[in-house]
Amino acid sequence: MTRNVMRWTRTLAIALTGISMASVAAAAAELTVWCWDPNFNIPAMADAGARYTAAHPDTTFNINNVSQDEINQKLQTQLLAGVSDGLPDIVLIQDDNIQRFLQSFPGSFVPLSDSIDMSKFADYKVAAATYEGKSYSLPFDSGVTGLFYRSDYLEEAGYKPEDVQDITWNRLIEIGKDVLEKTGHQLIDMDYNDDGQIIMMMQSTGQWYLKDGNEPNIIDNPALKASLETFQAMAQSGLIKPVSDWTGYTGAFTSGEVAMVPQGVWITGTIKSMPDQAGKWRVAPLPALDGVDGATHYSNNGGSSWYVLASSEHQDEAIDFLKTVWAEDVDFYQGILVNQGAVGSLLAARDGDAYKASDPFFNDEPVWQNFSDWLAQVPAVDYGTFTPEARLAVRAQLPNIANGGDIDQALQAIDAQLRQQMQ
Amino acid sequence: MSLYMLRRTGVYLFLSLAAFLSVFPFFWMAVGATNKSTEIITGKMTPGSNLVVNFQTLLSQVDLWRVFGNSFLIAIVSTILTLAVSSLAGYGFEIFRSRVRERIFQLLLLFLSIPFAALMVPLFVMISRAQLTNTFTAVILPTIASIFILFYFRQATKAFPSELRDAARVDGLKEWQIFLFVYMPTMRSTYAAATIIVFMNAWNNYLWPLIVLQTPENKTITLVISALTAAYTPDYGVILLTTVLATLPTLVIFFVLQRQFVQGMLGAVK
Repeated sequence: MTRNVMRWTRTLAIALTGISMASVAAAAAELTVWCWDPNFNIPAMADAGARYTAAHPDTTFNINNVSQDEINQKLQTQLLAGVSDGLPDIVLIQDDNIQRFLQSFPGSFVPLSDSIDMSKFADYKVAAATYEGKSYSLPFDSGVTGLFYRSDYLEEAGYKPEDVQDITWNRLIEIGKDVLEKTGHQLIDMDYNDDGQIIMMMQSTGQWYLKDGNEPNIIDNPALKASLETFQAMAQSGLIKPVSDWTGYTGAFTSGEVAMVPQGVWITGTIKSMPDQAGKWRVAPLPALDGVDGATHYSNNGGSSWYVLASSEHQDEAIDFLKTVWAEDVDFYQGILVNQGAVGSLLAARDGDAYKASDPFFNDEPVWQNFSDWLAQVPAVDYGTFTPEARLAVRAQLPNIANGGDIDQALQAIDAQLRQQMQ
Repeated sequence: MSLYMLRRTGVYLFLSLAAFLSVFPFFWMAVGATNKSTEIITGKMTPGSNLVVNFQTLLSQVDLWRVFGNSFLIAIVSTILTLAVSSLAGYGFEIFRSRVRERIFQLLLLFLSIPFAALMVPLFVMISRAQLTNTFTAVILPTIASIFILFYFRQATKAFPSELRDAARVDGLKEWQIFLFVYMPTMRSTYAAATIIVFMNAWNNYLWPLIVLQTPENKTITLVISALTAAYTPDYGVILLTTVLATLPTLVIFFVLQRQFVQGMLGAVK
């Protein structure tokens, strides 16, 4: 009898605990996040989430690995269909793709500039996600560029690190010819089906394929012309090793074949994946374009930002989370820099210890401090909604230009293809 | 004789080259699965020792059994239902005469030319109204009435001798019995060929599952491969291992049904 009673009491107690836990769970929010790299933005987001959950135990995170293509497809289909079930609360979107979403689906994203001070972030990152005066992104990883180079090859050809510091592309071509002659190593490698090299040169002057929203900026764009001319000069001098895809691209410098890699800071992880090359690499600012107004040593390639969907049932929690961790926690940014090699866009992050540290892989240079210096100076451009089309049009002409084709004709062809696509 | 030998040598050289070209990607995939990502990038062509590590990495990132379970469930149910519906329809179209039959059939063939991307948004609205998003039903349902398989069965049915059907009728079999006990056994090889086609399509289906399946526990193997390749520094060893694993089921089914598949392509009834 007593045993029975005890058993009942216990069952009741368990049931009551269950109910009370369920009611807590109902008040709590689980934020679903979509992002795509298990070595990069996923652990960074997980770390941010853990920090927020520690201070707000009611808010938990469910981070899903969804590729960029998937995110674009799913968002496009669901926003078009007007169906929000299954969409996340927070989503990561590539910067040059966001204007398309903001302009095609107004009201689908929460304007974060209403609640977060955007002046804390690198200007050009905020500008990329600004539409009709409001900014929608919480800027995340930067594609701030640098010129990664093999100092041992340079030395072999008789150059010092100072010789590639703050130079122009034309000077780099001269150095490149010398290095090729003396060491047999070509300057860079490039996939002619990727215009990353061109956009890095062009954005360093504050120009883009499009201007004033969505007007093509091709034919009368001196920066684009100078970029293509520089590219042609490099290709014609045999300084570029053509590769056919990403594997080939990374392979040519990880194997030590080419001497330099002008690229976004996110390539650092790939370069450092070869421990035996430690101490042989250094990083200089990107060369500047010759003879173009507004030419700088700072540019960008790639990068993405966080967005809160208007359909989210937990908007307030999502915004508060982005505000307290992503927009304030300098310590958090040190962690993701060390663990994931993620250079965030929060300007204050550079004051942390990890950013100040020097890296033995790069000859004990304070590379992170340098990158964050450059980050603040990247010229802002307006990506518009037709950047993917413009990039395709440019890529179509690259092989021809590399073979010595006429650049004005190529610009005409790019302009024509882009305008046709925009109709 | 020497001319004959020369010709044979030429033929065999050509065939060897063709065989090499078609087998090489598989070889590279299998070898890559045993190597480190950095070794694959630098073009290593020999088997390495990283298979176990790749496998462990894969298991730590992906609930492999669940993912394969999902893919198998979708592919098998899709195959059975598609064959049942589309073979019945193909049979019906050929056997039963009607005035509008050709018109309807032409209309169906016309639908074949509509790209799936154009149907995706309305289909998604339908599925979400029916509250089927994020279910396997949503993946399977739109594939069942396959116009291509219907067409394939109709063409194959043309070779199905009407004498057989007449004899069955004389023996007193009902129409459904004829289909079940006469037609289906006769058309074994057609079914086998269709099984391979439908299973492969369902197994490799990417776009629609991508749109309609939303939570990680419902992911199929194609979605997992896509997610693996999305990383900025993809681990090619793990990716190639996953593609090897994803290729195995279709490979096994093909080899099991190979004889019937070839027969089915040549026509079921001799």
